[in-house]
Amino acid sequence: MDRREFIKACSVVLLMQAFAGCRRVTLDTSSSMPSLEDFVNEVKMAASRSKPGFDLVQIPMPSALKQSGASPLNRFGMAIDLDACNGCGKCILACMQENNIPLSSKERRAAGQFMHWIEMRGGTPSMCFHCGDAPCEKVCPTGAATHTPDGLSTMMYKRCTGSRFCGANCPVGARKFNYDDAVKEGLSRRFNSEVPLRSKGVMEKCSLCLQRLQDHKYSHMAQFPGNEWRGTGVETACAGACPKHAIIFGNWLDPASPLVKAAKRKNIYAPAEVAALDPSVVYLRGNR
Amino acid sequence: MYRIPICIGMVLLLLGAAAFGVSLWDGPAAWHTDMRTLWGTPIALFVLWIGLAHAGTLISAIFLALGFPLDRRTSMIAELSTLCSLVVAAMFPLLHLGIIENFYMVVPFLDARGNFANMRSPLVWDCCSIAVYAIASSIFFVTHLLSEKRESLKKMVRPMSWLLFPLVLWVHTVVSLDFAVTFVPEWRGAFFPLYFICGAIYSGLALVIILLMAEHCRVRLLEKLMLALSWVMAAFWLWEFMLKGTFSFEVVFLGAIVPQLLWLRPIRDNSFVIMLVAVSAILSLGLERYVLVTPSEYNVANAFGWVDMGLVVFSLGLFVTLFFMLRVRLRKPLEGDDVVMGELSVQDEESASPVKGELSNNFHLLRLPLLVGFLAMLLYVLWAVSVFPDPMTSLSVANIVPLCLPLLVLVAMVVLCARPFWLVLNRRTKYAFVALMGVAGVLAGMFWAGGSSVAAPGAVSVQELATFKPAEKVWEARCASCHGKDGLFNEKFVREFYPVPQKLSLERLDSLGTDSLVSVIMHGRINMNAYGDRLTEEDARGLVLYMRLLAGEGR
Repeated sequence: MDRREFIKACSVVLLMQAFAGCRRVTLDTSSSMPSLEDFVNEVKMAASRSKPGFDLVQIPMPSALKQSGASPLNRFGMAIDLDACNGCGKCILACMQENNIPLSSKERRAAGQFMHWIEMRGGTPSMCFHCGDAPCEKVCPTGAATHTPDGLSTMMYKRCTGSRFCGANCPVGARKFNYDDAVKEGLSRRFNSEVPLRSKGVMEKCSLCLQRLQDHKYSHMAQFPGNEWRGTGVETACAGACPKHAIIFGNWLDPASPLVKAAKRKNIYAPAEVAALDPSVVYLRGNR
Repeated sequence: MYRIPICIGMVLLLLGAAAFGVSLWDGPAAWHTDMRTLWGTPIALFVLWIGLAHAGTLISAIFLALGFPLDRRTSMIAELSTLCSLVVAAMFPLLHLGIIENFYMVVPFLDARGNFANMRSPLVWDCCSIAVYAIASSIFFVTHLLSEKRESLKKMVRPMSWLLFPLVLWVHTVVSLDFAVTFVPEWRGAFFPLYFICGAIYSGLALVIILLMAEHCRVRLLEKLMLALSWVMAAFWLWEFMLKGTFSFEVVFLGAIVPQLLWLRPIRDNSFVIMLVAVSAILSLGLERYVLVTPSEYNVANAFGWVDMGLVVFSLGLFVTLFFMLRVRLRKPLEGDDVVMGELSVQDEESASPVKGELSNNFHLLRLPLLVGFLAMLLYVLWAVSVFPDPMTSLSVANIVPLCLPLLVLVAMVVLCARPFWLVLNRRTKYAFVALMGVAGVLAGMFWAGGSSVAAPGAVSVQELATFKPAEKVWEARCASCHGKDGLFNEKFVREFYPVPQKLSLERLDSLGTDSLVSVIMHGRINMNAYGDRLTEEDARGLVLYMRLLAGEGR
């Protein structure tokens, strides 16, 4: 091969490479979106692998928060009526659809790690207890985990660095970490346009359907300016989905709230791990 | 010289770099985690290497402060190992984060939007203490390095060691609080600070013994101290077993039983065995850290994947490479004219031990820096308490106390060494230093500005508000005269009056944010009247929503 031929061959190879490089590469596989059935199946799978239940201890009815900035009118919370609940798991699915919770990858599922904000513990649903004296908020280095004046333990996803300190310090393991980029891996589906999809590397957990409360609050403020807002009529997704009406959402400081009415009839319990931390989400059992 | 250790270190580093790269790319999914273990290997390695980093400062600063006879070259080796271990240790908390580029949010300093790190978190204390520790031990190392020929710097070494002494103990106390303040049953215990400090000193001593062995030198004092600490550690492990019932045979065997070989004279005289004993002590502490960080019902050994192993190898390789390369590079100033190493002989000892007058000299040097440091600390505490933005967070002074000593030491250190260094350093170094300060200033400015604030799409919904009358009525009654019924200008107004109202474009509304718009409506701004006496805050919020609606519709 002489010099001219060599140069020719090289340029041909280069040209072919350039063409190969220019063709449209379909590296992006995010187009696959999980179907609703995938979510249903995952919920079934999680419900079949129920974690051990809590030791429940009786607690008094939650009252106003002790923090100086807390609202004297509102403290939102929830009660799960253990006498009514039959552990069907419909709340988990409703929660996933309301909050755009992604599916877990195969390996994580095998290890029993799900992103579900509601989990079955001993056959009953459990989620973040929104402790008034929340241990997760104390250790969050950036202040991404904070309390609202209305008694919700909330997450600022933009402020989260993913140090997972809150997750380590949650006595009931209610916090879920986004190990995988669910959007890229085709594990998440945006059922609800009101709720942002979480990026890889941030913590998330039950928000007590904050977006519903927020929308209701702003529409109330626009509709009845100057009128105080107590969240009357708002319901979380899980409460709305429960066929037995075992999950009751409401305002602990509003005597007219369905939550307070239900809690007055029954005994109030909380898991022993969080009973001393002033939880806003409680269990009800046995008529008083 | 030291070609073999450098080669070994490079090979380990290259092997481990694969695991490091995978961990960077994949995030925390790369190494082993399970339902209860959210942290995993990087944090275990971080605690181990921070512990190893304590040896150098311990040996040179504390021994120097207390007047123990160790010669300069031995302490320099120990200090160099501190710096290298700190570099290795600092990698792992960063690697551990889910979103690494957000690491700066941990720094307890205000930004323009009023964001403040949560000072109740031990991670914030951790970040500050370790940063100060790194800066202080670098200054100490450089001073020590340059002090041989320069009398003015030589005077500084001992006062500096007095500053570093409490800092070393403080740093590891804070690291132990990462665990001890949590609700994890395996991590609870008021004895954790002491336990961690002893473990750190123990493993650090072992590391220094190995490194001195590479210099063909043995220091009996350190070996005796290691033996004593093995008993202390055994006591702690027994205590933990009685308290929580957790017990790891490997840890106790390697950490408490193997070192007892040092009691036997023929074994003690063999350097190779001493080396093995030291390695076993480090191994034991490493294992112990891993078991501690990974509280799990499963068999952890099975879960230890190649990435976990690779991270261990990476840390080892990085340390060995860094240490021996610096060792070769700094050979001249490090070794100086000394031929002897280890403990000083008797007549040297007398000259090294504190004379009565010397202590007061040190005190004279330290007096002003300590005062300045104390005032800076006080100012910071007052500022932090007054500026802390979140009324829902009950921040007490006790939450800031862990930051006090590091701050005091940092300021005192800088004040102490600023003048002598300025006189000693040449012009180029000074320029470099000023440039460095400039870069630090730019970084602080970037911190102040904060990151991007693009709102998540769909986070705020205003569409439904279109039907709500009251906000619209308020707008037409109070605002429309200037801003126009449709949110554009009122043409008549614009023609007749000079102060043109702001354009209420969606970009502008977004950039100002709801809260500041509400405060403008309530309190007024430049030509805008205050409406605080006629509207409630909720009305104002409704108006802001209505403005967004108009802006979204109108343009």
